[in-house]
Amino acid sequence: MSKEEKRDSSKAKDPATNPKQPAEWNSLADKLRKGELDLRVEEVEERISPSETNVFDK
Amino acid sequence: MSDSSFPVSLIFPPQGHFTQPYLALPCLQAYLKQNGFEDVQLIDASVESYDHFLSEKYVHWAAKRAAEILPIEGFETRPSLGFDDLEAFRAAAESSVAAEAVAERIEAAKSVIRGQDFYDPDKYLPAVRTLYHALRVVSAAHFPSRLTPHNFQMAYATDRSSEILEATLDREQNPYLAYFEQELLPRLVQRAPRVLGLSVIYGSQLIPALTLARMVKRALPDCHITAGGGFLAYIGKKLMQAQTDAGSDQMRSAFADCIDSIIFHEGEQPLLELSRALKAGQALDSIGSLAWFDRSRTGSPAVFNDSGHPIRLDTAPAPDFGGLPLAKYFSPELCIPYDINRGCYYGECTFCTLPTVIGPGYRTRQADTIAEHVVQLRDQMGTRNFNFITDCMPPGMIGDLPRELIEREADVRWWADARVEPGAYDPKGVELLYQSGCRKLLFGFETATPRLLKMMKKGQSHRTTIEVAENCTKAGISVTFYAMVGFPSETREEARDSLNFIIQHRDVVREVSLQTFHLDEVAQTYKEPEAFGLEILEDEKADLQLYHDFRSESGMTRSEAAEMFEEMMSAFRKHLTLFSGDHIYYFMQKSHYFLHLARDEHPDDFQARCQKRNLLRSERGARGDLVTVKGLEQRALPYSYTEVTRRLASPLARAVSPDFLTGRSVESVRDKAEADLGGLTANACILAYAPEQAEFLEISADGASVLNAIEQAGSLAPLLESVEDQPEAARRLEQFAARMHGLGALTPSSTAHAPAPMEMAAKL
Repeated sequence: MSKEEKRDSSKAKDPATNPKQPAEWNSLADKLRKGELDLRVEEVEERISPSETNVFDK
Repeated sequence: MSDSSFPVSLIFPPQGHFTQPYLALPCLQAYLKQNGFEDVQLIDASVESYDHFLSEKYVHWAAKRAAEILPIEGFETRPSLGFDDLEAFRAAAESSVAAEAVAERIEAAKSVIRGQDFYDPDKYLPAVRTLYHALRVVSAAHFPSRLTPHNFQMAYATDRSSEILEATLDREQNPYLAYFEQELLPRLVQRAPRVLGLSVIYGSQLIPALTLARMVKRALPDCHITAGGGFLAYIGKKLMQAQTDAGSDQMRSAFADCIDSIIFHEGEQPLLELSRALKAGQALDSIGSLAWFDRSRTGSPAVFNDSGHPIRLDTAPAPDFGGLPLAKYFSPELCIPYDINRGCYYGECTFCTLPTVIGPGYRTRQADTIAEHVVQLRDQMGTRNFNFITDCMPPGMIGDLPRELIEREADVRWWADARVEPGAYDPKGVELLYQSGCRKLLFGFETATPRLLKMMKKGQSHRTTIEVAENCTKAGISVTFYAMVGFPSETREEARDSLNFIIQHRDVVREVSLQTFHLDEVAQTYKEPEAFGLEILEDEKADLQLYHDFRSESGMTRSEAAEMFEEMMSAFRKHLTLFSGDHIYYFMQKSHYFLHLARDEHPDDFQARCQKRNLLRSERGARGDLVTVKGLEQRALPYSYTEVTRRLASPLARAVSPDFLTGRSVESVRDKAEADLGGLTANACILAYAPEQAEFLEISADGASVLNAIEQAGSLAPLLESVEDQPEAARRLEQFAARMHGLGALTPSSTAHAPAPMEMAAKL
C-alpha cells in the first residue's frame, strides 16, 4: 500500500476512538501481531480430466 | 415428388458439446428434402436441454433438491470421510455455498457468452466458470450423475445393456427423464412423426437417447424409431443382439422397447429408403445398412440387412440447418460444420477407428462445390465461420480449396483437422490457406518418439510435423497438436521426450489436445494385440463392450500413463499461454478461441492479451480502499474442500469410475482408492464463493473473521492502519488482502458499487 493511500485512510489506531475499526478486530490484530492468525488461502484450480480434453472430437 | 404427409423428426440427443451445431442431422435433412420428403423437423435436444438446465429457474430448483438429498449438515458429525463420501461431500459443499449465487447469475452468464461481451476475457471467463458451476449444481441434484460441457455420466455402466435399461427409468439420477417428459415429448406427440431418427455419435448420448426412445415408443407406438451415428456404428450390432429375460424361460431383444432399427455408417440413403418403405407399407429387408427388430417373430429378434452403398458425396446437397435452435448455442457467432470429405485418404494409423464410423472408402466433394456451398451457407446462416469436418485434407485439396474460396470472394474464416503433408503445407501453400480464411489447423503429432510413430504407422516424423507447424505459424495460422500418452510400450522417458519437444516448440504449438491411449475393438491394436504386446482383459458381463482394459508387456502401465497425463497437462498449463490459469476455458470450449482468430486477431496478439491479463491479476495488490465484494458467500465446512477435490482429481480416483479415456487396469481399484484416498480426517475450513469472478476459495476461520472485520470497517484501510507499527503483521495482512483481491473476494471500493459486468449484460 502506498504512503498516499495510507494518508487517505483512517488515522486512528484505537477502535474505541475510531468507529471504522470493528471491536472484534482488537483480538484479531493481537493474533496477527503475534503471528498466530491463520491466513492461508487455498485456491481451487480446475483440474482437467482426460475425458474433458478430447475437445475437438466432440 | 414432394411428400408433406409423412412427417419425419430427427433428433440429436444429449449430450454433445453446446457451442455449435453438429453436422449429421443437417446432412440428413438436406438429403431427405432433395428426395421428396419435405416435412422434416430437426431438434438439437442436447443444446436445448443445456439451455433448460442452465436457467435461473432450473438451477434454483436444483439447489433446493441438492440441499435435500445431499445436506452438508450430514457430514458434520462424521469422524472421517471414506473414498465413497468424497464426491458427495464435494457436491454438497459446492451447492451449499454457491448454488443460489450461481442461479442468480446464470442468465447473465449466458448473455455474456452469446453476446459481444464474449470477446472481453474479464467478462467471458467468469461467465464460463458460472456455467461450469451451474452444471455442478444440476449434477448434485441428480447425484451421482455428472453433467459437464463435455460429458454426461451416470453411475450405470454404459457397456451393459441391463444397466442402460435401468438408467433410462431412474427418475432420481437421470435428469433427462423429466426434461423429455415435460419439454420434448409433448412437441413430438403433437407432431406425431412417422419416423423418428436419433443421431448417436458419442457414448455420452446413449442413455439419454434410449431414455427418449423408450418414452416415445410408449406414447407413439406407430412411430418407427431408428438410430444411427458413429457410436452406434461401433456397438450397434451388440445393441441389437442384446437379450433380456421375457419370463417363462423366454428371451427377447433387450432394446425392442426403445427402438425399431439401427442404421450403420452414413445415414442418408438408408434413412431415405426406410422412410419410403414405411410410407409405402413395404418390408424393410431390402434396405441396405439397416438392422431391425422383426416383431412378427417371438422375442423380436434382430435382422441384419446387407450393407448398402454410400452416397456420391460430390452430388450430395449442402447441409440444411433449418429448424435448429441457432440462438441457443453457447457462442456469440455461429461456427458452421461442413463436411468436405468422408473417410481418410491415408487410412493406415493403427489406433484409428474411422473406417468403422464412416464406413469403408474415401470420398470427397469437389473444391468448386465446397466453395459454392460455403458461400450459400454463409448467406443463409449469416455467419462466415466454418469448421470443415475432415479427418485430413488431401494434398490436392489443400491447394484447390483455398483458390476456389478466394476466387469466389467467400470471405470466410475456417478451421479444420489436417494431416502432416510437408509438400502441401509449404510457405506458399499456407499463405494461400491463410488468404482463404484458414485460421487454425489441428495436426496429429501424437508423439516425438520415432519408434512409436512407426508402430502407429503415422507415416510422418516429429521433425516434419514441426516444419509444417512453423510454416503455419509464420502465415498467422494457429496450430493445435493432438498428442497421445500411453501407447503400448511407451515408456515414461519417451512420454517426457514428447512433452519436452512440445514445450520446446511452444512458440508454434498453441494448443495440445492430449489424450490417453484407449483400446477399442475395431482398431488394429485390438485386432492384433500380440503385435503391440498387449494382453486384453475381457469383461464377460459387458455385453455392449467397445473399449477394453488391457495390460501392456512393456512400457507404462495404464495407471502410470494416467499419472503421466497429469504430469503433461500440468506442464502444458505452466508453459502454454492458452492453457494458463483460467484461459484454458478458451481451449475447452471448442470454437471459442477460433472465434477470436476469426476476427483476424493474430494468435500472438491473443496470447499477449492472455499474458497481460495473467500479469494484471497477479499484480492486484492490497489497497486501503479494498472492500468485501458484494454477494460473497461463505460456509463453514467440517473437511477441507480443496483436499477433497485434490484427492478426487487423482488418476486412482478416476480409475474407480472409468470412461474409456480415463482408463483402469489397477488391481482391486476400489480397495486401493479407499486405502490411499479415503480416511480423510476432519479439518474445519471456510469455503467462500466470489460470485462475480465465479471463484471458489478456501480460507480458515481466522481469514473469514478478517473479511468480516473489513466489511464492518468499511474498507481494509483502518485495519492496516492499526498494525502499521508492526511491519511483519502489516505484511501478512497485506498479503492476505492481495490474494483475496486477486481471487475476487475483495475489490476496490470504486468498483464495488458499479454494476458488475454480468449484471450489465443481463440488463442489455
